[in-house]
Amino acid sequence: MSREQSITLTVNGKNISFQVEPRKLLSDALREDCRLTGTHVGCEHGVCGACTVLVDGRPTRACLTFAVQMEGHEVTTIEEIGTPSHLSPLQQALHECHGLQCGFCTPGIVMTFEAYLKENPNPSEAQIRENLSGNLCRCTGYQNIVKAIALAAKRMRESAHHGS
Amino acid sequence: MAAEIFHHIGKPHLRKEDVRLLTGLGRYIDDIEVPQALHACFVRSPHAHARIVRIDTTEAVSMPGVVAVFTGEDLVQWTTRQRMAPPIDGLRPMEMDALPMDKVRFQGDPVACVIATNRYLAEDAVEVVEIQWEVLPAVASMEQALRPNAPRVDDAVPDNLLSHQSAKYGDLPEAMVSAHRVVVSTFSQHRQTHLPIETRGCIADWDLGREHLTFHVGSQVPHPLRTTLASRLKLAESQVTVISPDVGGGFGQKIALYREELTVAAASIQLGKPVRWREDRMENLLASSQSREDFCRTRAAVDATGKVLGLELEITEDFGAYSFYPGNYLARVVAMIVTGPYRITNYAYDVKVVLTNKVGNGPMRAPMAVTSWVMDGTLDAIARELRLDPVEVRRVNMLRDYELPFTMATGEVLADVTPSATMEAVVSAIDYPALRQRQKQARDKGCWLGIGFCNVVESTTYGSQFYKSAGISGSGHEAAWIRIEPSGWINASVGLGATGQGYESSLANAVAEGLGISPEKVRLHMGHTDIAPYGMGSRGARGGTAGGGTLYLCAQQARDAVLKIAAFTLGVTKGVQLRMMDGRVQQSLGGVWTNTHLGLEDIARIAYLDPIALPSDMKPGLEFHLTYDPPPMTYSNACHACIVEVNGVTGAIKIERYIVAEDCGTVLSPVVVEGQQHGAIAMGLSGALLEHVEYDLATGQNLSGTLADYLVATSHEIPHMEIIGMHTPNSRTPAGIKGMAEGGVMGAIGAITNAVNDALSHLGVVVNQQPLTPMYLQNLLRQVKQQTKEVHS
Repeated sequence: MSREQSITLTVNGKNISFQVEPRKLLSDALREDCRLTGTHVGCEHGVCGACTVLVDGRPTRACLTFAVQMEGHEVTTIEEIGTPSHLSPLQQALHECHGLQCGFCTPGIVMTFEAYLKENPNPSEAQIRENLSGNLCRCTGYQNIVKAIALAAKRMRESAHHGS
Repeated sequence: MAAEIFHHIGKPHLRKEDVRLLTGLGRYIDDIEVPQALHACFVRSPHAHARIVRIDTTEAVSMPGVVAVFTGEDLVQWTTRQRMAPPIDGLRPMEMDALPMDKVRFQGDPVACVIATNRYLAEDAVEVVEIQWEVLPAVASMEQALRPNAPRVDDAVPDNLLSHQSAKYGDLPEAMVSAHRVVVSTFSQHRQTHLPIETRGCIADWDLGREHLTFHVGSQVPHPLRTTLASRLKLAESQVTVISPDVGGGFGQKIALYREELTVAAASIQLGKPVRWREDRMENLLASSQSREDFCRTRAAVDATGKVLGLELEITEDFGAYSFYPGNYLARVVAMIVTGPYRITNYAYDVKVVLTNKVGNGPMRAPMAVTSWVMDGTLDAIARELRLDPVEVRRVNMLRDYELPFTMATGEVLADVTPSATMEAVVSAIDYPALRQRQKQARDKGCWLGIGFCNVVESTTYGSQFYKSAGISGSGHEAAWIRIEPSGWINASVGLGATGQGYESSLANAVAEGLGISPEKVRLHMGHTDIAPYGMGSRGARGGTAGGGTLYLCAQQARDAVLKIAAFTLGVTKGVQLRMMDGRVQQSLGGVWTNTHLGLEDIARIAYLDPIALPSDMKPGLEFHLTYDPPPMTYSNACHACIVEVNGVTGAIKIERYIVAEDCGTVLSPVVVEGQQHGAIAMGLSGALLEHVEYDLATGQNLSGTLADYLVATSHEIPHMEIIGMHTPNSRTPAGIKGMAEGGVMGAIGAITNAVNDALSHLGVVVNQQPLTPMYLQNLLRQVKQQTKEVHS
């Protein structure tokens, strides 16, 4: 066991500080110390993508990141994306297209594409599949996830267009 | 049977589960906060087969945060042995302790459990548990298991043969003698694992004062799990509550009571404190249930038109080292239904199930997955040998509509299936003649296109009578309750265990239909043994027929009571018809349905708060309970077609098109059913192309302990899937429901393999094993080149 260190970071827009062992994973720190259990741990070796969070806006595997590395960084988790009464366009599209079944991989997929669609507002199906290939889903066969992402992108483009 | 008209069954309502799961507010095992919970971590065997000489826990116990280290010697005092010995001919009994004390039987076998204040500290202590081993030779394949003088995996099973059963129907010897030709084919299916994205885990919380165990665990079968857990802990069944919250996928892996779960429960009781355990992915790949590994051989006696005069099937299954299920549980079903939609009356099977030093097998989504590949692969082999068209060979053998219901050679009755319709729909959708033309042109240019078909007859539901006649212990009935609360809202429950199927939505449609209300008014409560009635859980595609059917019948019972109160309250005379529609009581006046002033909330108010106003033969309240045992089996059917391009240089397979026509009867929710079809096909393709639990043949070491080794299909590999839906109702079930959700696996592994064989057919090589890796295909292609060279030189 090594000594705990104090870290200060921003989680979902709030500055927080806590004590953590240097070996503690970001995924465990978010789930245990911040009680944000929407970030799921599926493999702990960076393959399945269930634990994907945003670090300074970029998708990151929380299971391959130590909490202490987050000193001074900004972490965004699924809890910041939408609420039951106000889903994000991507969450809404996943709901409408039946893009989730057991839901365990879903937060990681939402986080991956919340970031992706900001930079790629008009992706082709091939591009969506390419970027989705970093997230494993055992239930859906991916087809309805792909459909939902395309629908969300379309709606987001339309609302950006109307908004401008 | 003419299709009934439904108001809620079959409506594409969106899922009720989604919003919490999309926003990170689902509650999976690891999300449940239990104050002061200790963490368990297991010490596992590094050897495939070894005697435990000595376990020294001294150093581990003194590590920071460690509360206790338990071994098999401790657990044996607190738990009973599991004995798997149903009275089945040809099946040998097996026993298993909570943790092994004499020897370990596979790499990853748990031998000790460290309990510490957090997971990190528990893992530290696992590292310093000292174990002295006497390594034994490992049995790493079926072939090794059946060698004379092979090492014994289980000392009580002398020749590693756990189960051996055979049967003969009709006159097979005569068929073989009179045949135009006897076509022999083999099919080698590799070991796979379920890989739910949420691994296993549990929390045991012993209440010392009440002497009661609350056990949180992701389970497909909460009640049967409770029965086993209580018995093995020597507790009364009333002393255990099993709670299964949101579960991140099961696929058959979350059915049996695992030894880790039993150990965690016993530890909580001993320590008087809550103990939790979360399996990591490596443990999941090394020590959670695995499935599928078998070798099949068919001998088909055929006439010159490709008609099958008789069929012989041999199966050898690698069952692993422990019997969590009866040994015949999986392979026997394959043998019973293999002839599928084909007219084959002379038939014999021989099924051997052997023990090896691998993880014990369990059912995985479509435990009978190999069935359709074996049958349709055999028909393709016949077509190749006789130079016939594979679709024609299927047509020659397929049951015509007028031959249904059809009693299969084994006695299984096929009814309400439409195999010709599903096959012809697919053949027509792909424009088969044009495709053959294109294949020929492509081949001339060195491009290898292949077209594969696979007809599926999917056994679903499994009523009690099936278990009885198959000689497998168990029941297939289901139980439900429905309560119309005083405000008119509906609570309902059933004994299924949800693992992502969307029961809260599809089953709400069944309740709404039976009762005559909106599904929005219905809330399903499942996965809690103190709330749900004792049911048989989720397995064998039984959720729709057993679960949905029971709820539908229970809702009709509730509706009848509501209408009886309504008739009494309204003072209507006999002969006036009443019905419930969208929560309103309606009466038929001159053939027109009109709302009365009564709604369900009015009836509920009377039943609960003014019972004196009820008909004299009725009791207060609106609570209903019903059990239902479905038919022995319901069958869905489908035809899968897969068009592939095989790269002759790299051996890579590209799926150009994937299309399925599936007839799965009345569907409760088309949204959920489509999702299940996609998921099943994807699991089949992923298994056939990539997934492989691999054991080293010399040492028995598991070579696929990470997701970099155990490959699973991503959005890249899974193609777009086209589905043609058909809905012939089952005539023997409530609302005409059939089961589904496993057939996709069966069809996919057959269609893709048949397609690859079709692509390579001009080379004279046959693909007869999975996975269809580029290495495997390249090897075959190299052999062809070698042979061609030898011929020319």
